Amino acid sequence: MIRLQIPSHADYIDIVRVCLYGIASKLSFSYEDIEDMKVAVSEACTNAVLHGRSAEEGGSLIDISFEPSEAGITIIVRNDGPPFEHHESRTDAPPLQGIEISELPVGGLGIYLMEALMDEVLVQSSENSTEVILTKYVSE
Amino acid sequence: MKSQQFQIDQQETKDSYMISLGGELDLSVVTQLRSVLEPVIDRVDLNLVLNLRELTYIDSTGIGIIVSILKYRDGINAPFSVKEIPPSIQRLFDLTGISGYLTEGTEK
Repeated sequence: MIRLQIPSHADYIDIVRVCLYGIASKLSFSYEDIEDMKVAVSEACTNAVLHGRSAEEGGSLIDISFEPSEAGITIIVRNDGPPFEHHESRTDAPPLQGIEISELPVGGLGIYLMEALMDEVLVQSSENSTEVILTKYVSE
Repeated sequence: MKSQQFQIDQQETKDSYMISLGGELDLSVVTQLRSVLEPVIDRVDLNLVLNLRELTYIDSTGIGIIVSILKYRDGINAPFSVKEIPPSIQRLFDLTGISGYLTEGTEK
């Protein structure tokens, strides 16, 4: 397992992408799969930065662990703070479709993208922390 | 790493205002992008064009900004287009469905 800890600030999300790129490149993921994972992991970190506890509230770090396996990789993004709003999107329909422009939602795309780009997405929340568990399998 | 850094170029012509983005567009550059958009978002006399040719990364943060520009420009009945979308970014536009609302810039 490889662990990374970043301050809960937007300026460090690119470091997570660089790290993920390095790890995923050593596994047999395709370029497209790695690009997909970069977006999904960034979405989880973005949520952690936006919804996690701020430094003043005593929670200013985000933990990211990368767990390579035979089948692929699981990435866990953990932060202190209450869970972010999470509606399991049960349909595969794109969220921005068949709606009047004026009614288009500006937010809520992050969780949709994570689910669309990863094979498994699990959000586990306790009172004080939230974990987003993202798994991607190496395609045959 | 330098080449990945977010870049914004602006070019005003007689009837259009083009904002060209390069590098990685994520949460860390939202304020920067908004400050560039702010003075031109209300210009109904100009076609606002977002050129994404040099953009290497986008996520829901950037797509959310494009949605908000789209809604705002539609609301004031002003033209807005997105052009030169790289394939990897087009893929995310297709996944979210925003592609259906974007008109490719074909202005002179």
